[in-house]
Amino acid sequence: MAIITISRGSYSKGKEVAEKVAERLHYDCISRDVILDTSDHFNIPEVKLIRAIHDAPTLLDRFGHDKRSYIAYFQSALTERVKRDNVVYHGLAGHLLLKGVPHVLKVRIISDFSERVKAEMEREGCHESDARKLILKDDQERRKWTRSLFGADPWDSSLYDLVVHIHKLTVEDAVDFISQAACRDAFKTTDASMKQMEDLALACRIKAELVDEFFDIYVSSDYGNVVVYAKDKDRSTQKLRNRVKTLGEKIRGIHHIEVHGGIPVPANAV
Amino acid sequence: MSSIIIASDSPETGRRIADETAKFLGYTYMDPEDVLSAVATKRNLDKDKLKKVLDTLPSSFGRTSRVWRQWLAFIQEATLGRLMEDQMVCHGLAAHLYVMGVSHILKVRIITSEMERLQILASQRDISADKAKKIMKRMEKQRHQWCLQAFQMDETDPSRYDLVISLNQITAKEAVKTIAGVIKYKKFKPMTYSIKCLEDLELESRVRASIIKDHPEASVTARDKTITVKVKTLKRERKKKTAAIKELVGGIDGVDYVEVHFINDIVRQAAESFR
Repeated sequence: MAIITISRGSYSKGKEVAEKVAERLHYDCISRDVILDTSDHFNIPEVKLIRAIHDAPTLLDRFGHDKRSYIAYFQSALTERVKRDNVVYHGLAGHLLLKGVPHVLKVRIISDFSERVKAEMEREGCHESDARKLILKDDQERRKWTRSLFGADPWDSSLYDLVVHIHKLTVEDAVDFISQAACRDAFKTTDASMKQMEDLALACRIKAELVDEFFDIYVSSDYGNVVVYAKDKDRSTQKLRNRVKTLGEKIRGIHHIEVHGGIPVPANAV
Repeated sequence: MSSIIIASDSPETGRRIADETAKFLGYTYMDPEDVLSAVATKRNLDKDKLKKVLDTLPSSFGRTSRVWRQWLAFIQEATLGRLMEDQMVCHGLAAHLYVMGVSHILKVRIITSEMERLQILASQRDISADKAKKIMKRMEKQRHQWCLQAFQMDETDPSRYDLVISLNQITAKEAVKTIAGVIKYKKFKPMTYSIKCLEDLELESRVRASIIKDHPEASVTARDKTITVKVKTLKRERKKKTAAIKELVGGIDGVDYVEVHFINDIVRQAAESFR
């Protein structure tokens, strides 16, 4: 089976599509639950976490590390949750946070701007011009957020396997071919892809554990052989080495762990 | 009478998918070569030069902007003419940029992996991967500028399409099956209104092609066989221009009525007042 990520703008009917796909395929459907998991697990107020993963980093955020730490927590909670497979995730940046895993079907749902404005007007009971402003602001915030944290534009179609325009195509049509695509061989979970997912979850878990003390690190895992990449080879690298030694007892699945400083970071590192 | 327009970031992949989709559905593949040959014969133009209009921008040393727009209008006219036929699969004629608001035409964009595009380019030109990457970046930039200059549109914008399929993990065969499945949906069945919209577009393109040489800045709209031409002119030239346009357009097959609207040409007016 597969993992399906559905990216969407506000009022794009993506949530509806996600819920119906999950129902059709008998998958779990998650979105906000991951945030709750994260805030419980890492003991962060939910409101703070929601703001961190929704609003684009401000100038002050760029000097602090909170936002990146929260993203690391969020990614850890998400990978931990979806590695059980058969999941539809609709929410922020699923396609980027689960990048590189073969059995992840990445979908984006888009809807006509005028339809979105109508939906906003109905829900908020506001004037058309206000609804337009709100949606444009929300879109801009999401694009800024993704660009600043991942260097990618969420509107870039090449980040997804399928982009479905809900206009001529209905929600039901979208559900039809997302379900069909998820059942194709390319997105079936294999032993190798499952292992890849477990490695990603392990790397994310280790990063989440270390990110508070060591902000500028990357982690990769290959069959439980973990490499932590530090930016420079300096005194903090030794401190990191000592800290990493304690992780074996706390986190299950680590076969071997090493720290490297000042070397190029591979693409699969988180 | 449903038809499909396929656009792609890789012309080779787009052509392959379009051809295979046509075979799978029993539709007709609208070969761009045939369309361009027909235009070249009808207008007495060089086919190779005509083909280049679809890839290159006008330059001060080559084709002027005026000729470039004329030739584009001829291609547009021929493509829309072919789309009036039943069950067509069109690719490579930029139709996704000018066929708008016709509900029985499915518009799909196919995205090829960067690696595959690089391989195709490197093998076609017999160059290294690094050089291919540089050329590809330049070609992408040029393509973006071409779309903006020709139709004031960004072809990478997903909202221009009904469906975007990436071939990173989905195979070409699966993409063809998906497209074939989607075109069967009720929404893509031709209706009186959608056929009328396509007829209007086709008539509009024919009228534009016939007046573009004499009135390059004229904008044309067609609705229910009534043609509205908007043209920039001076007050004293209005009568003359109306007569000329009506004479050119009135004889076109399918035109019942011609309206000519004028926009005051402020620049010329100012220039003349200083004489």
